[in-house]
Amino acid sequence: MSLPKKIRYSFMKDYGAPALMKMAGMRKKKRRGKTSPLFGPPLRCNDRLKEIITRHYFLSRYAEGAKPVAWVTSGAPVEILRPFDFYTIYPENHGALCGAQKVAPELCALAEERGYSQDLCSYARVDLGVCLTGKTPVGRLPKPDLLFASNNICQTVVYWYKVLAHHWRIPLILLDTPYNFRGIQEGDVAYMVRQLEEMIPELERISGKPFKEEKFKEVIRTAKATSLAWGEVLATMKARPAPMTIFDAFGHLAPVVSLRGLPVALNYYRTLLSELKERVERGVAAITNERKRLMWDNIAMWYKVRDYANLFAEHGMNFVTATYTNAWAETTPHMDSDRPFDSMARTYSLVILNNNLNHRLHLMESLIKEYQVDGLVIHSARSCKPYSVGQYDLKRLLMDRLGVPSVVIEGDITDSRAYSEEQARTRLDAFFETMEN
Amino acid sequence: MHGSRIHRSGGGLDRMTRFQPRPRKEYIREQKEKYGRRIFGVFPAQYPKEIFWAMNALPVEIWDPPLEVSQANAHLQPYICSVVRFGLELILQGHCDGMDGFLFPHTCDSIQNLASIVNDYLGLKKPCYFFYHPKAPYRASSRDYYLKQLKDLASGLEKQLGPLNLDELKRRVHQSRGISSLIKEIYDLRAEGKLRSTNEEFYRVLRQGEFLHPDDFLPLLSEFAGTSRGESKKGPVVIMSGVLPSPPEILTLLDELGVRIGDDDLLSCSRRLLAKPGGSEDPFEALADGYFAMPPCSTKNSPVEERLKHLVQKIERSGAKGAIFYTVKFCEPELFDIPQLVEGLKSKGVATLVMDTELNQGVSGQMRTRVEAFVEMIS
Repeated sequence: MSLPKKIRYSFMKDYGAPALMKMAGMRKKKRRGKTSPLFGPPLRCNDRLKEIITRHYFLSRYAEGAKPVAWVTSGAPVEILRPFDFYTIYPENHGALCGAQKVAPELCALAEERGYSQDLCSYARVDLGVCLTGKTPVGRLPKPDLLFASNNICQTVVYWYKVLAHHWRIPLILLDTPYNFRGIQEGDVAYMVRQLEEMIPELERISGKPFKEEKFKEVIRTAKATSLAWGEVLATMKARPAPMTIFDAFGHLAPVVSLRGLPVALNYYRTLLSELKERVERGVAAITNERKRLMWDNIAMWYKVRDYANLFAEHGMNFVTATYTNAWAETTPHMDSDRPFDSMARTYSLVILNNNLNHRLHLMESLIKEYQVDGLVIHSARSCKPYSVGQYDLKRLLMDRLGVPSVVIEGDITDSRAYSEEQARTRLDAFFETMEN
Repeated sequence: MHGSRIHRSGGGLDRMTRFQPRPRKEYIREQKEKYGRRIFGVFPAQYPKEIFWAMNALPVEIWDPPLEVSQANAHLQPYICSVVRFGLELILQGHCDGMDGFLFPHTCDSIQNLASIVNDYLGLKKPCYFFYHPKAPYRASSRDYYLKQLKDLASGLEKQLGPLNLDELKRRVHQSRGISSLIKEIYDLRAEGKLRSTNEEFYRVLRQGEFLHPDDFLPLLSEFAGTSRGESKKGPVVIMSGVLPSPPEILTLLDELGVRIGDDDLLSCSRRLLAKPGGSEDPFEALADGYFAMPPCSTKNSPVEERLKHLVQKIERSGAKGAIFYTVKFCEPELFDIPQLVEGLKSKGVATLVMDTELNQGVSGQMRTRVEAFVEMIS
């Protein structure tokens, strides 16, 4: 790490970023327009969320050379990186941002021109497009010193990170999480614990910092509190009417994914939770006419979030839960700072996509009951095979067991070229009709 | 030994008809009736077949069954690869009803979820085993975990098939070593241009190992090696990388064009068949040695540079002028590696051709044209 870059980073952190936030806040005040009658008042926390994410990407430009930088998959146990002071970037989060800003197809095409098939995950193609050309809506992403992955969400992230490792000739550290075909096995836990222990010397070497277990435990405590707070945030949507929609939650998910283990994320969710509780007490609804309550399955279609929020609100339908947003709260109880390695292994092995499909079925059943869900929208995401393979059966089984109607929308997480508006609208119209009967 | 009965369609040496496989159904029936063997359907790709053999069970691999897909589409999206789709279709059409169970090695996300669909949702009432092999980059924990997986699989099978005799396992591991050595010898002959066999015949023989019992496969290989020695036809040489040599029409097309596949980097072939179990007295240790000695593979997360180095060695050894990447559409592990492999080979002056295919769909006119243009370029 170079001293001038460290000084520059500190300056930007203490002065540059606050000044940028102030300017952005002033611009925002000038721009603020009318709200739609379909929705309740916007969350006050939206501005704070934007500040946090903007600041994170802004500072990341100065992190290179000042701090060790790691690119991390969304399911990896980032807690183990925090004691080494890595600046963490989440390419999946960045991909979602590109999807929401509708620039993903262009970035995907850049990767495709270099031989990456259109059949590959679009988060990966967006990221490869960015890495190969340097183009990104956030200005610039710092070149990583380390790639940190876990295959608990998919094997795809590892294939993708291998490409990056080869491109930059940098190390890739993997937490290999055996698939829970029949529930978690103690032998698998022991294997993961050993891997976490084996990582320590590699992380010390890459970061140039010694491992401090007490710091690791502190990070776990913060991460646990953050995930618990996120779980409570989601649970406020059990209220009728719900104080926010799942489309709001897709956005508010960013800190628990990419800033987990840091106080900023915990403080944010405490503020958001307090605002949501206040809304519940006052009966403030996210959509003004909540007649039906829905569940979303799979990652968001980032380029359709706003359109779908409007479309469903027009029909008096509010998404109150999603298997996706729940994923960062579901395994929180396993986090235990007194058993840091063992609990990290369990927490990250037991995430939704590393479990068999029966687990998913039971989880969806309990969410449907707890959140009083009337219908289900299943996003069949071309990019995400572990999330999507099995959805047709889940649809059938949930109808058989709970009588919950559902619709499958074929699409993608960021690449809108894989989405047919016409086909989706035909299916959704039929779904709306079913829901009214 | 009963291998000699199963692979000849006649006494002559008609190169188009010799070493034809017997129909799988008939062979499986005979295995059950004559030898009392239990039959397991095994999905791709890497698994310890020796444990099955030692328990008088026959693993029958499911890669590309010749079927029309009609029922699997109710379970799988259109963007799932045809290996998974045809495998599920085989089960749904009832072709596996006579099997005693299934094994799903953890090869990719799609096979992982297919395993869960079959085990959790289809209500088949057949034992389903899952075999997780550790992913690279390997550490000390990887080997210990793999050993544990081997033993767990064996103890799981014991509950269904009775106790595993360790001496029998040692014998089967030894036999497996013999098979791998013979396959290596055949590959060496082919790379050196000393095997008189077409591409189509070479892979037809090799792929019989996907369902033959080793007592039958070993003599088949011996006879093939013995009767096929001789100068290969002159012509350009290529190596083939990808998942499996299917649709096989690509092989006959290359034969027609006078091109020899001098070596391969196919998941179903050299990536798993050439590494023999180690020489340890402990059969589980020997199997672990074999696993970690396997060539680099996308499904094990091997680094791209290792794969590139491996491909270059194959090219140099066989004198190949080009590399054909012949992969199955939607196969993520392969598709992620290919651009950097192509770039690396091109930088070394090796011509490359990338094709992704759907199984059982033959070679389209467009693909044929591309292959012809490629062959012209390297000739």
